[in-house]
Amino acid sequence: MKRNLPSFLLYLLSFLLLWEWLRPIEQLTDTNNLETFIAFMLISFACSFFKIKRIWKIIIKLFYILFFINRLHYEEGFFQLGWIMSFFMDIADNVELVWSRQWTELSNGFRTFLFFILLWLMVYLIEYWLLNRQRIFIFFFMTLVYITVLDTFTPYSAKAAIVRTVVVGFTIMGMLTFYRMLQKENVKVDSSFIRKWMVPLVGMIVFSVLVGMIAPKADPIWPDPVPYITANNDEVDNSAGLHRIGYGTNDANLGGPFIGDDKSVFVYEGSGKNYWKMETKDVYTGKGWLVSGANSERTVLTEEDIVPVEPAADSVATVKKTARVILNGSYNFNYFMYPAGVSKIMKVQPSTANGNQLEFEATNERISYYNGDQKPVVPSFFSVEFDSPQYNVTDLMVTTEFPPEMNPDYVEKYTVLPENLPARVKELAEEITAGKTNWFDKAKAVERYFSNSGYTYDQKDVAVPGENDDYVDQFLFDTKRGYCDNFSTSMAVLLRTLGIPTRWVKGYNGGDFQAYSEGDPSTQMYEVTNNNAHSWVEVFFPNQGWVPFEPTKGFTNDVSINYQMDGDSSGNSQVTPPANVKKPQQEEADETAPKPEAKKDMGGKAFWTNAANHWKLIVLIFILLAGSGAILYRYRGKWAPYGILLHYKFKKKDESLESAYLILLNQLDRYGLKRKEHQTLRNYAQYIDTFFSTREMTKLTTLYEQSMYRQSLPLGTWKESSELWENLIKKTIA
Amino acid sequence: MTHEQMNPTIEKIIANIEKVMIGKRNVAELSLVALLAGGHVLLEDVPGVGKTMMVRALAKSVNANFRRIQFTPDLLPSDVTGVSIYNPKEMEFQFRPGPLMGNIILADEINRTSPKTQSALLEGMEEASVTIDGVTHKLQRPFFVMATQNPIEYEGTYPLPEAQLDRFLLKMKMGYPDLQEEMEVLNRAQKEPPIEELAPVIQLDGLLALQQEMKEVFVDDTIKRYIVDIVNRTRGNGSVYLGASPRGSIALMKAAQAYAFMYGRDYVLPDDIQYLAPFVLSHRIILKSEAKFEGTSAEEIVNRVVARVPVPVRRLVK
Repeated sequence: MKRNLPSFLLYLLSFLLLWEWLRPIEQLTDTNNLETFIAFMLISFACSFFKIKRIWKIIIKLFYILFFINRLHYEEGFFQLGWIMSFFMDIADNVELVWSRQWTELSNGFRTFLFFILLWLMVYLIEYWLLNRQRIFIFFFMTLVYITVLDTFTPYSAKAAIVRTVVVGFTIMGMLTFYRMLQKENVKVDSSFIRKWMVPLVGMIVFSVLVGMIAPKADPIWPDPVPYITANNDEVDNSAGLHRIGYGTNDANLGGPFIGDDKSVFVYEGSGKNYWKMETKDVYTGKGWLVSGANSERTVLTEEDIVPVEPAADSVATVKKTARVILNGSYNFNYFMYPAGVSKIMKVQPSTANGNQLEFEATNERISYYNGDQKPVVPSFFSVEFDSPQYNVTDLMVTTEFPPEMNPDYVEKYTVLPENLPARVKELAEEITAGKTNWFDKAKAVERYFSNSGYTYDQKDVAVPGENDDYVDQFLFDTKRGYCDNFSTSMAVLLRTLGIPTRWVKGYNGGDFQAYSEGDPSTQMYEVTNNNAHSWVEVFFPNQGWVPFEPTKGFTNDVSINYQMDGDSSGNSQVTPPANVKKPQQEEADETAPKPEAKKDMGGKAFWTNAANHWKLIVLIFILLAGSGAILYRYRGKWAPYGILLHYKFKKKDESLESAYLILLNQLDRYGLKRKEHQTLRNYAQYIDTFFSTREMTKLTTLYEQSMYRQSLPLGTWKESSELWENLIKKTIA
Repeated sequence: MTHEQMNPTIEKIIANIEKVMIGKRNVAELSLVALLAGGHVLLEDVPGVGKTMMVRALAKSVNANFRRIQFTPDLLPSDVTGVSIYNPKEMEFQFRPGPLMGNIILADEINRTSPKTQSALLEGMEEASVTIDGVTHKLQRPFFVMATQNPIEYEGTYPLPEAQLDRFLLKMKMGYPDLQEEMEVLNRAQKEPPIEELAPVIQLDGLLALQQEMKEVFVDDTIKRYIVDIVNRTRGNGSVYLGASPRGSIALMKAAQAYAFMYGRDYVLPDDIQYLAPFVLSHRIILKSEAKFEGTSAEEIVNRVVARVPVPVRRLVK
């Protein structure tokens, strides 16, 4: 193969294909410095592209390998040669280890060395496939298998990789097929001929890839095996990857799919459903949530003490309620879950003789249970007394900024954001809350935003933010797909960009209704399972305290907000039925709500979800289109000639005869007068003329013969013959 | 094809021949094709169907020097080519030209003579010269041999080797006349044979000029490809032991040129190729013995091949 653009392309594409093998390695294994290996691949490909002498190739590659082994694994400088001795010793040791099959003992230097050798071999193999065999299918296929297997059985997401591989692989195969054919048929080609091959090739690949990308994908017919595999593999690092649903304390790295779990956590009996808080977190890192301050202030309580949670302001009306909680045996935290406005936790079981104690952490509002020896105890039963707050919208809408007397540290604590938070998050927040002046309206706008703007609740197909991604930014702009953590974190962060203090709350939602309590129809039993583990947002209003909000699509928190007010406001709620006066406004809001959604439906996913709803119509349209297309094609002999006649009316050149004659042949063929392959035109013309009782075909054929077999035509041929031709075409239509 | 305007000179020659030959227009045409293309003809047929008459009429029409050699088993090469005889008067050997030194030669029953004599004739046909006693004698131009042979199953024959068969441009059969024609033959036989009264249509110079003109007939690449396709297929055919050689391709092209020229065209058509292929190719392929036992003839094979090769109807992709 010559050293020209096509062969350069082939090398480049092969390099990309091989690169696909390295990409997942970084994510799935603890291999670092991958760029070193990629550069090695590049050098190897360049060596073979430039046809460097074999001996130089080997010297260059060996030098590279040794240099980087030295850089990565030895402290000494490369030219201080002492390290080479120890490197060889290391290799000798490792060979022994390999011999005794102690794979885990191999040193990193040796692994690096082996990896280099492997890449070297691969490049050699690809070169052999390209140059000698001119076939790459095996490698291409193996790459596809590799990527799909990784995608299926590991957290590696091959969405982009599969597209890249398909494009690259088919391009190489198409080009190789072309060159293989050239070689086999021993023909010389010019650039226009190459274009004739390459342009359709590119077209086909682009078309099929686009179709593949846009087309709706069927859901897998069996559940994603990754959760199962990772769940059963203790060594898998769960920090960023798949989680099992349920309450956990580590939220430093959010994201990734969830696996459902309907194991019961607790059952509670109370007068109505409510959310159960476990703790709050205040520091957003860009990947997840932490609690500020390692040693938070702890308060020891006894069972009758008031739990010192930050109370709602005095102006907030409360309703005193109690609930009894029976915890499942499988619950293994020593933390209590409690409703908003908790005042007392009582009758905790198990209790011991030396007196158990409760501990309250002020920073994250977590209530834990200890025995007398400060050992954590998992509670099995307790009852809780709480003052369920009844907010008043008028009061909520008062706040438009921090009152100056607020403690600035406190403000700072709940509005701080990571420095590298992309600016577009703030821009979005401003866009959502445009026109709103008070904090409550802003919070409501953000809360509502998620249900209206094409966000999808999903536990499985949820991205893990990459190293340079922000968890919120990724969800808001790229994936738009996630579960409570995504929604709640996003809302908290969006509001913080506006300077509104928020915190992130973890716990459980209200669970499922079980039964009415025996003998007391005013209380009910609810069961809360791991699936009910939840997170939401609390927004701080200086005059009201912390007010919970529920941004997660499909969830509602029964926060009581009284919308009765004097002034006009756009505030509404999905919870409390607004007063009659508000009704028209609410309807208006409901009407306007779907509109932006409809506009944004032009985008891929929304389009297909929309399409899925109308699939019957779409299938019908498709069948109609296909059917009419087929009919048009089937009877093209009837209508196509008219177009052709018109088209050739305007042709003046004598050369038109050739194409016109060939069209006539096709047309006659469709008409049913088939020419056998070995039948000469003259013979066929006689047959046609006998059939139509004319002499026109013979005359026309004689002219065509001159043009075809003599390569020259008398001037004005087309003028003379166009009439013959038209007559014949017309005969086939009649 | 019949409605095509023939080359007027050739039309006249054929008309001349038809004065003596009844039916057999195609044989006359093919003979002329071979004559124009500078090739030779092998007629494979039984005696008495008018081969000699045919050749003589042709020779008379072009005013050529006609010779006839009757091949027998005891014929010597010198009987064909001529011999040097010592002339005591002039004290030197003098060359007495043999019958090969004519323009149009009828080599009758060529397969009855020994291979040695056969090859003397064939050498002359190929080289257009003969070498006798170390002296090379140019043969006259035009030089046209029409050889006849009995179908080779007959007793006492020396079948021509394949290499020598290849030298003939065309091989054809004359065939018996049909009833009508044969009755007409009888009618004519009662009168003075008209052959003596035939007048020449053109002179030899004119014939040579026609031969030159014929070479100008255009052969398109598609036609060349078609020829090569056909010849190639004879090589791959299951019943064929040895297919036609590249010389066969050349022969087919030349014959087609001559044929097109005869019909007043300056370009070759696939029709020409189809018509001529059996005559040009059938004696150039050797059948497998199985095929022979089955009674398949070489002509059938060629026809089958022609029926399988697609006719070029559009230009080659450049």
